[in-house]
Amino acid sequence: MEQFLSLTLGGVVSGSVYAAFALALVLIWRSTRIVNFAQGSMAAATTFIAVAVIDAGGSYWLALVVALLSGLVMGALIERVVIRPVEGGPELNAVIVTLGLFVAIQGIVALVAGVDERAFVPPFSKVGYEVREGFTLLSLSPNSIWTVAAVLVTMLALTALFRFTRVGLAMRASAFGQEVARLLGVRVGRMLTLGWALAAAVGALAGMLIAGDVSFVGPTFMDTLIVFGFVAAVLGGLDSPIGAVVGGLLLGLALNYVRGYLDDSLLGMASLVILVVVLLVRPGGLFSTTAARRA
Amino acid sequence: MTRNSRRLVSVLAAATIATTMAACGGDDDSGGGGDSSGGGGDTGTAADNEATGPGMTEDTVTIGSHYPLTGRAAPGYSEIPTGVQAYFDYVNANGGVYDRQIEWVYRDDGYNPTNTSTVVRELVLDEEVFAIMGGLGTATHNAVLDFLNTEEVPDLFVASGSSLWDDPENLPYTFGWQTDYESEGKIIGQYIAENYPDAKVGLFLQDDDFGEDGERGVRQYLDDDQIVEVQTYTSGNIDVGPQMAALQSSGADFVLGFNTPPYTALTQLAARNLNYTPQWWYSNVGSAPDLVGSLLGAFSQGAVSGASALAGIMTTAYIPTVDQVDNPWIQLFQRIWDESGQEGVLTNTRVYGMAQAYTMVQALQAAGRNPTGDDLVAAVEEAGSDWRGPSFTPFRFSTDRHAGISGMSVVQFNDQGVGEELTPLLVTDTGDADIEEYDGEPIAPPESGIPDEEAVG
Repeated sequence: MEQFLSLTLGGVVSGSVYAAFALALVLIWRSTRIVNFAQGSMAAATTFIAVAVIDAGGSYWLALVVALLSGLVMGALIERVVIRPVEGGPELNAVIVTLGLFVAIQGIVALVAGVDERAFVPPFSKVGYEVREGFTLLSLSPNSIWTVAAVLVTMLALTALFRFTRVGLAMRASAFGQEVARLLGVRVGRMLTLGWALAAAVGALAGMLIAGDVSFVGPTFMDTLIVFGFVAAVLGGLDSPIGAVVGGLLLGLALNYVRGYLDDSLLGMASLVILVVVLLVRPGGLFSTTAARRA
Repeated sequence: MTRNSRRLVSVLAAATIATTMAACGGDDDSGGGGDSSGGGGDTGTAADNEATGPGMTEDTVTIGSHYPLTGRAAPGYSEIPTGVQAYFDYVNANGGVYDRQIEWVYRDDGYNPTNTSTVVRELVLDEEVFAIMGGLGTATHNAVLDFLNTEEVPDLFVASGSSLWDDPENLPYTFGWQTDYESEGKIIGQYIAENYPDAKVGLFLQDDDFGEDGERGVRQYLDDDQIVEVQTYTSGNIDVGPQMAALQSSGADFVLGFNTPPYTALTQLAARNLNYTPQWWYSNVGSAPDLVGSLLGAFSQGAVSGASALAGIMTTAYIPTVDQVDNPWIQLFQRIWDESGQEGVLTNTRVYGMAQAYTMVQALQAAGRNPTGDDLVAAVEEAGSDWRGPSFTPFRFSTDRHAGISGMSVVQFNDQGVGEELTPLLVTDTGDADIEEYDGEPIAPPESGIPDEEAVG
C-alpha cells in the first residue's frame, strides 16, 4: 500500500512534467499544425539562460521570468524566420525543419555552455514529507507541489485564453482555416507567431520544472522528456490543453507503475507500447473531437 | 527520431573533435628530434623505421578510442581522454616511442552502443588507427568486440571492469586493464562479511554486466539473507527516487552501489530527500569525489563543500588518486598535467587516462621498432605481467589470460575527502580464487616519467 501510494504520487509529479511539455507541443499544433521536435532543445536553451542568471547571482524567480521571456522571444523569432517559409507547404518539410532546429539548438547550447552537467537547485525543498515515523514520501515534497501547481495553473490559463478571449478565438480560427480567418479580418500571421511564442514560453516553464525535478542539467537533459511529452500529447489528442495534461498524468502513472512493479529498463518500451495501443484504438487520441473539426 | 538526431549531434561533435585533433597534431611534428626514448634494448635509429600497415608510419603511430563526451555519462568520463592526451604529449615532447609521435584520435559515442559501432568503424576504416586503447563502457565496447577482432585491430585496455574482455580464445585482440568487477565484488563482500556482520545490505546495481559481475562477486562472501534488497537502474533513467525508497523500506542500513559517477550524486541526493542515512559503499567506478562533490555542493548551499560531501563513504582503489598528494605518481602526473596547458585541474579520471597511456607506451615499447598489430598483441601477452606502473598490483596478462590489474584496497573518505586505506592491498581473481594479501610493493615512477621496456622477441 505504501509503495502504491508512493508510486502514484510520483506518477502524478512526473506526469505533470510530461504534461507541461505536451502543452507546448499542443499549442504549436493548434496554431500551425506542426509537431515541433525542436521543443526539447528550445527548452534546454531557455533553461541554460536561466542557469546563467542564477550563476550571476539572480534568484530562481528572476531566472524563471527571464526564461519565460526568452522563450517568448525565441518562439516568435523561430516562427518568423525559420518556420514561416515552410508553412503551408508539405507537412514533412516543416517536420524536417524542426528536427534540424533540434540538433542545431542543442549544438549551440553545448558550444556556449559546455557539455558538462551542472547542478540545478529547485526553488523549494525536495525533502519528502514524513508520513509516519520512518516512512518518508519522496514524491510529496514542497517542490513537487510547486511543480504540479504550476502546470495546472498554466493549463487553466491556456484553456481560458482559447475559450474566452478574442485572441484565443482568432488563434483557433487561424489554425483551422487560414483563408477563411483572413477573410474575416484575423491577422493570421500574427496569430501564428503568437502561438509559437506562447508555446515556447510554456516549453521554457517545462524546462525549468524538469530541471528542478532531475537536479542536473546538460545540453541534452530534455532528450528523454521529448519522447514522453510527445506520447502524452498524442494520448490527449494533440489538440486540447486539458487532453495534454490528462495524457501526461496517465502516462506518468503508467510508467511509474511499470517501473515500480516491473522493471526500470522497460520505461522506454512501455511508453511506446502505450502510444501504439492508443493510436490503434483511438487514432485521434483519448480526447479527440469530431473528425470534421480536424484540419 | 530522437536517436537519429542524437547520432547527428554526435557525428557533428566527432567531426569537430577530429578537426581539433588534426590541428593539435600539427604542432607535435616539430618535437620529433632529440634522443630516442624507445625501448631499453633498442639499438636502431629513426632511419630504421618502416611503415608496417594502418596507423604505423615511419614517424607516427595512431591510437584511437571512444568515450562519452556528451550526454548523461559524460561528466567525469569525458576528462579521461584529456589525461591520455597530456601523457602522450609528454612522451612525444621527449622523442616519442622509437622516434614515432603518438597521434591520439578519440570520438564521442554518447555512451550509446549504436554510436560506438559507428565511430569505431570510422576510426578503423577512415582514420586507420593502429590500435584502439581504453574504449570506455561495457555495453558500448561490447558492440565493437567482434568488429575489432575480425579486423584484427589490437583492442587494448578496455575502460571497464567487465570480465568480457578476458577471452583470448574468442577475442584474441582484446585486453582488459582495470580490476574486474567480480574480483572487486569479492573483496568488498569479504570486507563487509568480516567487519559489518550485522549489516543489512542493499545493492544498487547498473542493470548490465557491470552490476551483474559485481553482484556475483559480492554474493560469494555475503550470505543471501544478509542482502535484504537488490535494486537496479538503467543508465539514462535519472529518477532513482523509487529505488532509494525501496532500499529504505527494506530496512537496508548498508547500501553498496555498482554505478557510474552521476548516479553516485543522484543516489546521494535522493537519499537526502528521503532522510535515508545508511552506510554507503560505491565501487571504484562510482567514487569520483571531485565530480560528485562539485555536483552535490550546490545543493547544500555551501554547508558541505566539495569532496567532503562524501565523508564516511567507502570505496576501493587500484591506482593512486589525486587526494594522495605525496604519492610520486600523482606528483608526476600533476607535473605533466600542468605542463600540458589544458584547461581544468588534475582529476581522478585524468589520472586514470594517464595511467592507461603509461601502459600503452609500455606496450608500444615492448612491441619493438616496427611492429604489426599482431606483434603488439604478442608483446602484451608475453611481457605484460612484468610491467609495473601506477597500478598498485600487476596485470594478469599472458597467452591464456587477457585480464588486467589483479587487486585493490578498501578505502574510506575522511572529512576532508581524502581516502584512508582500511586494508592492505588485496589480490584475487574471478571464480573461486582466494583473496590474498599482495606481497609486493607499489613501485615509484622512473625519473624520466617514461617507461623503458625492452622489446620482446
